[in-house]
Amino acid sequence: MGSTHPTRRRVAAMTCAVALALPLTACDALTPGSAAVVPGPRSVPSSTAVPDEDITLRLEFADAPLMVDALIAAFEKDHPTISVQPHYKTFPDYVQNLKLTMTSDTAPDIAQYAVGMNDLAADGQILDLAPYREAYGWDDAIPPVSLDQLTAGRRSEATGGRALFGVPAGLSMTGIYYNKKLAERAGIGSAPRTLAEFEDQLTAAKEAGLTPLGVGALDSGGIHLWAALLNQTMPTDDYWDWVNGAKGATIETPAGITAGELVVEWGRKGYYNESANGTAQIDSTARFTQGDSVFLINGNWAAGQLAAVMGDNVGFFPMPGVQASSPTVASGFSVSYAVSSRTEHPEAAGVFLDFLTSPEAGQIISDHGFLPPNPEAVAKPEGVLADIAEGHRRAVADDGITTFPDFAAPAMLDRLRSGVQKLIADRVKPADYLDSLQDQWEEHHAR
Amino acid sequence: MRGRPQVQPVSSRRRSPYRGYVYVLPALAVYLTFAVLPALHTAYLSLFEWDGVTLGDWVGLGNYQEILQHPVLRRSVFNALVLVVFFSFVPIVLGLAMTGLLGRHRRPGMGAYRFLFMLPQVVPLVAVGVTWRWLYGDDGLVNQAFRVVGLDGVTRAWLGDFGAALIAVGLVGTWVLSGLCMMLFLSGVHKVDPSLYEAARIDGAGPAREFVSVTLPHLRGELAVALTVTTVAALASFDLVYVTTNGGPGEQTTVPGLLVYRLAFSEGEVGLAAALAVVLGCVMLAIVYLVNRLSRSQS
Repeated sequence: MGSTHPTRRRVAAMTCAVALALPLTACDALTPGSAAVVPGPRSVPSSTAVPDEDITLRLEFADAPLMVDALIAAFEKDHPTISVQPHYKTFPDYVQNLKLTMTSDTAPDIAQYAVGMNDLAADGQILDLAPYREAYGWDDAIPPVSLDQLTAGRRSEATGGRALFGVPAGLSMTGIYYNKKLAERAGIGSAPRTLAEFEDQLTAAKEAGLTPLGVGALDSGGIHLWAALLNQTMPTDDYWDWVNGAKGATIETPAGITAGELVVEWGRKGYYNESANGTAQIDSTARFTQGDSVFLINGNWAAGQLAAVMGDNVGFFPMPGVQASSPTVASGFSVSYAVSSRTEHPEAAGVFLDFLTSPEAGQIISDHGFLPPNPEAVAKPEGVLADIAEGHRRAVADDGITTFPDFAAPAMLDRLRSGVQKLIADRVKPADYLDSLQDQWEEHHAR
Repeated sequence: MRGRPQVQPVSSRRRSPYRGYVYVLPALAVYLTFAVLPALHTAYLSLFEWDGVTLGDWVGLGNYQEILQHPVLRRSVFNALVLVVFFSFVPIVLGLAMTGLLGRHRRPGMGAYRFLFMLPQVVPLVAVGVTWRWLYGDDGLVNQAFRVVGLDGVTRAWLGDFGAALIAVGLVGTWVLSGLCMMLFLSGVHKVDPSLYEAARIDGAGPAREFVSVTLPHLRGELAVALTVTTVAALASFDLVYVTTNGGPGEQTTVPGLLVYRLAFSEGEVGLAAALAVVLGCVMLAIVYLVNRLSRSQS
């Protein structure tokens, strides 16, 4: 009796487990993802006509709530029949739930564009807006380069041209801020015209006993630095191919190695703040305002804060090219909005997106510290904001706004972050770092 | 209960084995719904290649093959084992030491001690992580303390230093779990029959001898509990690492729990994440089983 009991119990347990597992495996509906049926049309209609009825659009977003509120208020004033209900989520929450949200029956009509959108676009969960691009004439209102960032690397089935999965309401760009007083103390007169000149200035700052360059590499500041250097060494077309997953594209190029070597070399020479790897980007900004470093790598999103604290003492320039005649190339993206395939009001959504390209919206965007997609339509900014606007104008003119490297694959961000940390600490060879990125790229794009 | 016969009629006697199950049914239902079924579902998901959105592909045990070759896995397992030292061994040793010092006699202010040592247990781990991130920061309290005593050369951003980050995170775990171990052991000591101590003293045992010969053997059960809880905390650690270093610098503090999270939520590899979670769960079950087995076989 004593020996049969456990055996019998074990048999019973096994039977139970099998009984539980059988229906799970037998039923196709339980295959993960089968609930997310691709809904109707995959692209918007090609006309701009809007049905004459009261419409409510739901908008989910994660950036700049004040700007969004102001935009909605202005939009509803112009279009009394369409109301927009904003729903704000913090950025991490937003990105983590994005796929679930957009594939659920309660998906919002309009949603902010983020990394996971590429997969959603491939799956037909967000609408291809290319027909609107022509119908509304967005190419005239927005620099085409800003729209071409939002193709998800796809061609449009509706128009045959490049697809479009979002419309920008405010652009971002990275570059170098400098503390004017400290720069003067180090004998640095003006913004550098070449990368070599910038390196001389870093050396001068070091020799003056100052910390040359503030980097917040605990999160994404290091990636911005590497990408800014890569922008100067790698042809932008090759870079775009890589980020968009074009067949045969690679980051393992001499240009990529050079950028990595620069990050390592600057670390060896002591150009970074000593605790770069332990400093978050937002903390590096705060330390820069306290005069801890002459230069700071960051994006225009920090400009408002820097201008408020430092006033006229802060300037900005995009990372200079290898030669003075090189095009201005900077990393940047946009706060953009996509339209769900489940929306019942693609026409009204189109009207809202078109409003974002208007001069009125541009002014609101500019007032909230972002770069408006159409800078001509906006009152001229002052101080460091003017430096940024000028840098952005040059980069746009040179077709030199590249997207952030983590868009290359969902898992790229972690590889980039930890890899650049190792470069800064001189713990990895640039070639091995690129190899780890390429591995991830191949894993994602092989499918 | 009056009138209930000792020997029940045959029919009700046959029914009786099942009657017990009725009583546990509510608890069993909750347990099945919220613990067993999700676990089985995870195991089921681990057999698919699934990005979290589109239709998954059945890959059988392919994910297990793939996850064992994951480039960061070995490093993360090593990190987790280092954390076991800081989360488990050090707190238990500290807890035993404190018990040796405080356990036998009622000393004034014991309530205050208990409160202080229990405090880290009560605070949510995320808050603990944020606080320690400040303490470990460039101008944080840790560096300030070093500067005060003239050790300026030692200061650094601890969580961003390749050599120090893992130890820094581990010490936070030590801080959190030492109090728990001490409380467990203190309550265990109070169960010990005072006459045993008397007998030991009559036999001429000093405090050290008393601790080794009387206290320690009676704490076997508590030791097993402490070892289980803290080891699981180390192997399943996620929140603390996520908040303080997010696995950096490089992969110096990446732990398996963090990998599961990243694979599932940021990399769209739900099947792979589920496979790693299943492996991790099995390893932990094995360890718990081993600890329990050892503590029992000694008795």
